[in-house]
Amino acid sequence: MSLLEVKNLRVTFATETGPVEAVRGVSFSLGRERLGIVGESGSGKTMTGRSVLRLIRPPGRIEADAMSFDGVDLMAASEREMRALRGNRIGMVMQDPKYSLNPVMNVGEQLTEGLRRRDRIGRTEARAKAIAALEAVQIRDPERVMAAYPHELSGGMGQRVMIAMMLIPEPDLLIADEPTSALDVTVQAEVLAILDGLVRDRGMGLIFISHDLRLVGRFCDRILVMYKGKVVEELEAKNLAQAQHPYTQGLLNCLPRIGGARGPLPGLDRSGDWAKEGA
Amino acid sequence: MMTTATASGTALIEIKDLTVTYRSKGREVRAVEGVSLQVAARQSYGLVGESGSGKSTILRAICDLAPVTGGSIRIAGEALEDPRGTDFSRQVQMVFQDPYASLHPRHTIDRTLSEPLAIHGIKGSDQKVMQALQDVGLPTSFRFRYPHQLSGGQRQRVAIARALMLEPKILLLDEPTSALDASVQAEVLNLLNRLREERGLTFLMVSHDLAVIDHMCDRVLVMQHGRAVEELSRDDLAEAKMTTAYARSLFEASADRMLA
Repeated sequence: MSLLEVKNLRVTFATETGPVEAVRGVSFSLGRERLGIVGESGSGKTMTGRSVLRLIRPPGRIEADAMSFDGVDLMAASEREMRALRGNRIGMVMQDPKYSLNPVMNVGEQLTEGLRRRDRIGRTEARAKAIAALEAVQIRDPERVMAAYPHELSGGMGQRVMIAMMLIPEPDLLIADEPTSALDVTVQAEVLAILDGLVRDRGMGLIFISHDLRLVGRFCDRILVMYKGKVVEELEAKNLAQAQHPYTQGLLNCLPRIGGARGPLPGLDRSGDWAKEGA
Repeated sequence: MMTTATASGTALIEIKDLTVTYRSKGREVRAVEGVSLQVAARQSYGLVGESGSGKSTILRAICDLAPVTGGSIRIAGEALEDPRGTDFSRQVQMVFQDPYASLHPRHTIDRTLSEPLAIHGIKGSDQKVMQALQDVGLPTSFRFRYPHQLSGGQRQRVAIARALMLEPKILLLDEPTSALDASVQAEVLNLLNRLREERGLTFLMVSHDLAVIDHMCDRVLVMQHGRAVEELSRDDLAEAKMTTAYARSLFEASADRMLA
């Protein structure tokens, strides 16, 4: 029984020049595993992630033949039911901690706000839970971080705080949208290790959205490759090197490699039928 | 370990013990501390490091955009004048990281490209603008468009064309492809390599991506916390012959190591 089932998802934006389809019929199912969604800008990967939480504002519109999470029909759920899911059962980590944390609230207040308001938990207990969450993301001095404001934290630290915040309600599914793209490579490795441990220890499902095919290939179990709102290839991460679709191959080959050949990098050949408008 | 190309006197860019200190509200921050490097003509030299390592600050210091508090910068053997004059901009130009921020949003491409010519009193701007667009692989029909009508990759091509309008010898490249998609990055890197070949340019390039630096540069300086950690030739890098733990950790964490 899968945790999340998405069938023929479409996201359409009404514009002055007619409707623009950001996601054009995406289907996938997710168990308690790590699913990577990869694509370049404009491929619809972020919109797909946000659709699961129904976090797309008008004029954007979500349509799907079916979209269900653990037996709950996400298309039919009321806004009230969705609110009960968001954060509690499905968490989301955004790309840049600089823009996603509240700059005028210290970390401790931000971490405990949900616990105190939603779960009606007392101050001391909420604080203890928040500190435990910070420890779970390997922050060594949680007391100091609790008192800090977001601007006093480094990027990697801020990203850990966001992950900690998402983990406090112990969601069954975590959607991480480019969670490490704003981070330095060595920090990136640490944050990925933390996410990995959480998926394993808590049996959480993870949707990992990224533009970086090589990173996703190493980190996830399964990969969806998106192009212009469609999934062009779905494959096991371990078989990434044997990708069949020309777009996936192109994405892999156009990246420089340490010690690689010095000649021009192969560009992405978009002349195939798959790249045509409306394909 | 010095190659002949970097022997004193022949270097086109020569930086010695450069220190950059930002001061505000009585606090001092050393962004760069005692960094020395030499780049020979037609060489491509990379600066790599994580955020806050001071790599971009070195480029900014060359252009007088950062407060130099120690050391010296020489271009073609000569100390730079303060403030930098028109001679400097004819020799050295910079391409910035974010093509969305570095082009004037209300100037057409034509105006962006012809402004350096106007400042320097160079004639024939009409033909030169058309040529510049062709050189960076943009259709000449783009000439009277605004930046918002172009994609990120196209904008970065315009930024490169702008930097080349005065036919400089040196290009300072500050993360020129980190805001671009992988396939677009490949196109822009290929363009830069082609232009370097055709025009005999010297590159000083900053990136956080070791694979990009490796692809583009002959030598690379690894930086951390404002200091130079280790200088590596391209071969040393490919064979993982780094001697410092930090350079090694950067190498190990590099994205392209992740797929064996």
